[in-house]
Amino acid sequence: MGKNEILNLEYTALNLRRNILRLIRAGESGHVGGALSSVEILTALYFNLLKIDPKKPDWPQRDRFVLSAGHKCLVLYAALAERGFFDKSVLDTYGALDSRVPGHPNMHKLPGVETNTGALGHGLSIAGGMSLGLKLDKSDSKVFVVMGDGELAEGSNWEAASAAAMHKLDKLIVFVDRNKLQISGPTVEVMSYEPLEERWRSFGWGVRTIDGHNLETIIDTVNQTPFTKGKPSVIIADTLKSKGLSFAEGKVSYHYWKAKPQELEQAEKDLDVMEKLLKTKMEEIEL
Amino acid sequence: MINELKDPRKVFGEAVMEAALENQNIVVLSADSSSGSGLGNFPAKFPDRHFEFGIMEQGVIGFACGLATTGKIPVFAAIAPFVTARPYEMFRNDLGYMNQNVKVVGRCAGLTYDQLGSTHHSLDDVAIIRTIPGVTVINPGDPVTIGKAVHAMLNHLGPCYMKIGNPPMPVLYPDDIEFRLGKGIVIQDGHDVALIATGTVLSKAVVAARLLEEAGVSVRLIDMHTIKPLDHDLILSAAREIGKIVTVEEHFLAGGLGSAIAELCSQEYPAKMKMIGIDDLYASNGPYEQLIGKYGLQPDQIKETVIHFLTNK
Ligand SMILES: Cc1ncc(C[n+]2csc(CCOP(=O)(O)OP(=O)(O)O)c2C)c(N)n1
Ligand SMILES: [Mg+2]
Repeated sequence: MGKNEILNLEYTALNLRRNILRLIRAGESGHVGGALSSVEILTALYFNLLKIDPKKPDWPQRDRFVLSAGHKCLVLYAALAERGFFDKSVLDTYGALDSRVPGHPNMHKLPGVETNTGALGHGLSIAGGMSLGLKLDKSDSKVFVVMGDGELAEGSNWEAASAAAMHKLDKLIVFVDRNKLQISGPTVEVMSYEPLEERWRSFGWGVRTIDGHNLETIIDTVNQTPFTKGKPSVIIADTLKSKGLSFAEGKVSYHYWKAKPQELEQAEKDLDVMEKLLKTKMEEIEL
Repeated sequence: MINELKDPRKVFGEAVMEAALENQNIVVLSADSSSGSGLGNFPAKFPDRHFEFGIMEQGVIGFACGLATTGKIPVFAAIAPFVTARPYEMFRNDLGYMNQNVKVVGRCAGLTYDQLGSTHHSLDDVAIIRTIPGVTVINPGDPVTIGKAVHAMLNHLGPCYMKIGNPPMPVLYPDDIEFRLGKGIVIQDGHDVALIATGTVLSKAVVAARLLEEAGVSVRLIDMHTIKPLDHDLILSAAREIGKIVTVEEHFLAGGLGSAIAELCSQEYPAKMKMIGIDDLYASNGPYEQLIGKYGLQPDQIKETVIHFLTNK
């Protein structure tokens, strides 16, 4: 990938963070931590990897994206709006009665949303079914899933993991957003599934571990799937929860953020600093 | 009558802590859920009696059952649908069929997780859990009775399901109110209609009753905090003496309090009934007060429904 291309994607990632902030400004609170740790993953998916058409959200040949950790919906809304699935003004309704962007995604309210998640541990089985159906149709469409690391404690995930391997779903690609936190504390202290790599491998999956904030790495890694022919692929993405908000990064208390006005101001400043850094980078490239 | 507001989760957690000081057998199980259930201080206070499992509600029900077989009294509190709909079969077989002394608490129940949508709303918990033989189903409607229900539930031998809401609730009762599982509370007597409410919307029914009295309608207002076992005497005397019953609940019409009362009355003493609750649909999302207003659960709406019910044959 060219440096320019990557930098453009980094700008897009920044815009996704701005969209997330816009949602929070409207609704005053939300699951921000896990949304921000997945920004680069969704940027890579929605702006490089996914075969989709915002004008034809039901196009049968599209790739599918399943947000298994549905509470991360702010990042999904941010990406869909940025990609043009709906007008950005919808983001300003977050929190209002009958809003099309509820606290968990609803496919009947918004184009581009594939599944009604929110209860953890459902997405992988649904994605497995999608992949199986597409395979039956001899489609080459891929199915992508984003899961939380805390979410992995739901046993249903491991039923799905076994079944996906048994059915050789090698167009199924899972990201585990390993931000190392859940509600009650660090994931390894609450309910550890480490070493994740060995667990997934023993369930019959191809496994890679990457820096989940590096757009180029995310894209390169997905482009190498299936890591093993005939096996589903899982990408363990090491990330930082609440990435981008100086006061919240890596803090368990920002899983769900009840935004204070000063915090919103600081968040704005943090993103402005990010933008400046990107501008400098851009100028260096242009020189 | 309606005054101070209290956080139901905090009241619940404090009552459990209080009981745990007295009774060494009480243990708390968490599915990444204790802190959000008002039990954030429990692990520090009783480090050996708090077990964290992470997000695995189905398995936690099984662990609770196993602990109960050794004489422990497990309390498991989490978001309502994740301790009822999700592990339903574990609840039925491991707690119900095995008749184990486990206390399951669904918090942020009904529509009180307002913004979070239908995955987090719990409008079917009473319906499904009350089909399990031997399970006591409790739905207190104010902070004072939440505290009392916790103690009553922990002193009762057998599986229990209790549900509580999320936003601060008005205190409706004095501290010395008598609370007994399976016995409804008559808040006020009247002769035109029996208004029977439960849980989070009890306070709405209290206001509705006042509005109705102001409009010249005499209301017998009943708090049905225990849905199973149902207080047959209280309901049948209302059916006999008044003959007109309106139920109010933040739950599906199918299978909730209204259903339970209809099941009883239709067989024992048919009364004219109107059920206020959520009909056959996935509820929307939005700020709590607006959301319940969308489904007719605000006091003025309850009042209108009752008047319409009384004037239209
Ligand atoms: C079945 C179920 N149980 C509990 C919850 C409540 N809940 C929402 S998010 C969350 C923690 C998730 O942690 P993780 O998967 O690590 O997500 P992230 O850190 O990316 O936010 C919990 C327990 C839920 N949504 N679904
Ligand atoms: Mg996490």
